[in-house]
Amino acid sequence: MSDFLTPFLMQSAVQAITPILLAALAGALCGAVGVFNMAMEGQMLIGAFAAICGSYASHSAGVGVGVAIAASVAFSLILAYGATVFRGDAVVICIGMNLLASGLTAYLLRALFNVSGTFSDPAIAGLSRIRIPLMPSIPILGWGLARQTAITWGAWALVIVVALVLFKTPVGLRMRGVGERPDAAETLGVDVNRYRIVTVLVSGALCGLAGAQLSLGAVNVFAEDMTAGRGWIAVVAVMLGRGHPLYCAAACALFGFADAVGLRLQGLGLPNQLTDIAPYVVTLAALAISHRARNSNALGKADRDV
Amino acid sequence: MAPAPELEAIGVVKRYGALLANDHIDLTVESGEILAVMGENGAGKSTLMSLLYGLQRPDEGRILLRGAEVRFSSALDAIAAGMGMVHQAFKLFDSLTVWENVVFGAEPRRGPFIDRRAARAQVESLTEAHGLRVDPDAIVGALSVGVRQRIEILKALYRRARVLILDEPTAVLTPQERDGLFAVMRRLAGEGRTILFVTHKLHEAMAIADRVTVLRDARVVARMRTSQTTQSEIVRAMTGRNVDLQISRGVAAAGAPLLEVEGLTVAGAGAKPLVEGASFQVRAGEIVGLAGVAGNGQTELVEALTGLRVPDKGAVRVAGATLTARDVAAHRHAGLAYIPEDRVAVGAALGADATDNLAMGFHRAAPLSHRGLLNVAAMVKRARELIAKFNVKIASERALAGSLSGGNLQKMVVARELSHEAPVLIAEQPTRGVDIGAIEFIHGQLIAERDIGRAVLLVSAELTEILGLSDRILVMYEGRIVADMARSQASEEKLGLLMAGRTAAS
Amino acid sequence: MSVLANFGGVLRAPPALVAIGVAVLVGGLLVLVSGADPLQAYAQIVVGALWPQNLPDTLNWATPLVGMTLAAAIPLRGGMINLGGDGQLVIGALVGAVAPLVAPLPGPIAAALALLGAGLAGGLYAALAAWGEIRFRVPMLISSLLLSYPAVGIVSYLVRFPLRDTTTGLPQTAMVPDGARLPILIGPLNMGVLMIVVIAALVVLVDRRTVIGYELRMRGANARFAAYGGVALGRQALGAMFSSGAIAGLVGAIIVLGGQFRYIDDALLSPAYTWSGLMAALLAQGEPAGAVLAGLFFAALQTGGFAMQRETSVPRVLTLVLQSIVILFLAVRGGLGKRER
Repeated sequence: MSDFLTPFLMQSAVQAITPILLAALAGALCGAVGVFNMAMEGQMLIGAFAAICGSYASHSAGVGVGVAIAASVAFSLILAYGATVFRGDAVVICIGMNLLASGLTAYLLRALFNVSGTFSDPAIAGLSRIRIPLMPSIPILGWGLARQTAITWGAWALVIVVALVLFKTPVGLRMRGVGERPDAAETLGVDVNRYRIVTVLVSGALCGLAGAQLSLGAVNVFAEDMTAGRGWIAVVAVMLGRGHPLYCAAACALFGFADAVGLRLQGLGLPNQLTDIAPYVVTLAALAISHRARNSNALGKADRDV
Repeated sequence: MAPAPELEAIGVVKRYGALLANDHIDLTVESGEILAVMGENGAGKSTLMSLLYGLQRPDEGRILLRGAEVRFSSALDAIAAGMGMVHQAFKLFDSLTVWENVVFGAEPRRGPFIDRRAARAQVESLTEAHGLRVDPDAIVGALSVGVRQRIEILKALYRRARVLILDEPTAVLTPQERDGLFAVMRRLAGEGRTILFVTHKLHEAMAIADRVTVLRDARVVARMRTSQTTQSEIVRAMTGRNVDLQISRGVAAAGAPLLEVEGLTVAGAGAKPLVEGASFQVRAGEIVGLAGVAGNGQTELVEALTGLRVPDKGAVRVAGATLTARDVAAHRHAGLAYIPEDRVAVGAALGADATDNLAMGFHRAAPLSHRGLLNVAAMVKRARELIAKFNVKIASERALAGSLSGGNLQKMVVARELSHEAPVLIAEQPTRGVDIGAIEFIHGQLIAERDIGRAVLLVSAELTEILGLSDRILVMYEGRIVADMARSQASEEKLGLLMAGRTAAS
Repeated sequence: MSVLANFGGVLRAPPALVAIGVAVLVGGLLVLVSGADPLQAYAQIVVGALWPQNLPDTLNWATPLVGMTLAAAIPLRGGMINLGGDGQLVIGALVGAVAPLVAPLPGPIAAALALLGAGLAGGLYAALAAWGEIRFRVPMLISSLLLSYPAVGIVSYLVRFPLRDTTTGLPQTAMVPDGARLPILIGPLNMGVLMIVVIAALVVLVDRRTVIGYELRMRGANARFAAYGGVALGRQALGAMFSSGAIAGLVGAIIVLGGQFRYIDDALLSPAYTWSGLMAALLAQGEPAGAVLAGLFFAALQTGGFAMQRETSVPRVLTLVLQSIVILFLAVRGGLGKRER
């Protein structure tokens, strides 16, 4: 086992999970209040780009993270208001947002930095990694958690926080109520739109963090469409975890593991075109297995009902 | 000077665009009084209640609570002022526990968290104080309708409601559950609480209310004391004419069985089947009523009969053809027409026009299509004919189904299904939420179907409808057919007991 | 109420125009950010797309885009969304590029077989997503997209390794023989344009005049109503997704046999036909004739984008931004794609 799972592999697996985990928490929160958010891909991409801009301009990774959160929250206003006050279809809005993020970042990359494809610069300060003494000597788990960014540590802490908020606090109870029966929540004086708007904006903040980790967490580079489907994997993690933060985190860990196995196979000589698809294949298989034991009824099954 | 009434509405007006929903309504109710608010569908009852409860704001007029004018900007204001409302469709969170539902929005806290122990204790003391038995830790989705209603009342009491609005509270209850609710209502009124009881059932208003206020066409047309009025007087006020309350029908001349069901079983998610070994027949020229409290397997049974759901065991025969495990198209082809329970979600496509809606089910055969190509002219012609024949009030056959009122939409669905001239008709809650005129019309059509020798299965939650129309009555309880009797042997009490799971003898 | 509904029909056109106006305004601000003159940029888009001598280029660009628009519109008409166009496109393109190489047949027959095979392969791959929903209840919205990644990855692998043309240093297959290429009509236009025109006409005809078109429209209006009326939803989803994927696969083969004559890795996906097509279909809410118009509009916008980039140095990816703003504005304002409650 430890021949296969090297310290480096575990570390990169944990690192790979972080953005997906944050995006999945964002998706789980939105799902709890009944907004189907599948714009995490775009929210993260905006965050990743803004983080690079902020860090480039200020030479500070912290400022980069702040700018990433602000930009992603601002971008999330589209879904926050579009799906609530304006009563638009969340699926269509999210498709539009993902494309807008892709186009906008590519455009600004050319317009601001005059490059296409990827952008990196010595002026960009990356996130520093927290070293914990003795950690690397614990096999597997310790290898994974040694030398990670504060965002990675924060992401796992947030899993606990989100679970506590959702299941132990009045706000969480109301959020779940808003998601299950908005009309009922409304009659009990809970402002459904406000809960949904705030939640979507919080999801933007989480995805902003995820994006910052993506661009500043390892190699300090922005590449067009660098989210590369992570937002979609997060959407699936929310489905697999049935919206429960702990189960969603477990699903994310599964993908991270698949990713690491792919990397490892690549190290053993398999072409990366094949190993890159590992997380998607695992995802599809997991979805098929988790959904098969449901009762069937031709009427109850509505299209696009996710 | 007499004390101010508990709740008073003076000259309340509400408009929706050109439609006048409440036209200068005056309403008064005293403390400790039960007031029945009556009227047909569309008379303005629901609008008035939503104004009183702060869900909407009146365009004109004033609302006074204990003599002081109130302007609720939301239900929250109304709740704070001591109002509570039990909606016709319960507003409960199925996945949450009873106590979570009760304290939702006003949770006792300990630090940043919900104080679970305090919440449970408060709910328990409320259930004891008012005789509303319910387990605070039960998951609401697993509870029966009667218990859910108690949770709704608990929610209002938890928020210290002095005025309770009950919107059609008995529609979903067995007669025994209804009597239990009435006992609770009397007890609450005895404690000095005020109850507004919205209903269209005459005998219930007479049985429980002190006074009746009748709405018609957005106006108050009558105020009376139940002790000084009669049912027919109220009906006259509600409809503005004399209505024959009795459904007139001849004697059935039942023939060969056209719908035969044997040992039909539908498995559920848990160990208990949703439908278990259902066997019965519906013969030519008879109406068989299927009674039961909602959620006892009627929906799944009908889905299995119509091909929308594949049964796990058992056989279905329509006009002699065995259809077990065949799809909807095969069922329809064999001669089965079906008026579904939910005309909006199932029976029509609101975003499509009447022509398209009326073609559904006929579109695969001549004259509407030929070798896969549609004959649009024939579709339009058919739609025009049905609209005229069934007197559906619609702008044109190209107007969207969504533009129709509830009664007219139901007429359109009934028109389409009856024009199949199929030997077997399944009518599921055919008159739910439509006005008295449409009810009379639809009942007449069902009897006419029977009289020309068709087999009709009527699924209804309204016992008066079942008793009024059926020649034979089946009762469903927890997935099983627990009784099969002739109309002459049935009574409301007997059916009520069977629906509640007790045998008629005990 | 019905009067209002009729007015709605009349008023439907302006929101699209308003949306385009908003997109043009926001886009103009972005052009200012890049330090260029918005008016000049837009003028270049219009000239680049619609100047008579540029029209053939616009049509050439529109061929795959309108094709992918139709591929997106068919499921959308029934209330379903196929997000996996990329995967279906590359599978079709690979079949189209490889079939003439391996089948020693006279050119036109090889081409016909290649196109047929491409449609079949793309269609089957798309139908896989529908099957997954029917059999395993995996939402098609997600599975169609997720299936794209393995398809793109595997095709990319095949083109880089086993099927690679070793005479060049690039990740691409060998050239298809001359005879199997699509004949040229005029200038840059080849037979593929005509094929897309025929497909578009067929889709519109099926939508308006046939039983399957009617059933799909009714599913889009209310899926439970369609099921209640006897439409077998599972079979219908398979059919709709197969048709959608088949058109996507065919578009892939048309690109290969009509212009590039070989499969070049990444060349099919970088123009993002799938997403532009999906947006065009959404713009028309799946109604095929309107979707074709929207597809033509987006094609003109993108062709003009090339001219703009050439003449004003404003990056042409601006057109993608404009498209997504149009969709977002309509989704938010007009309840685009709003489901029945």
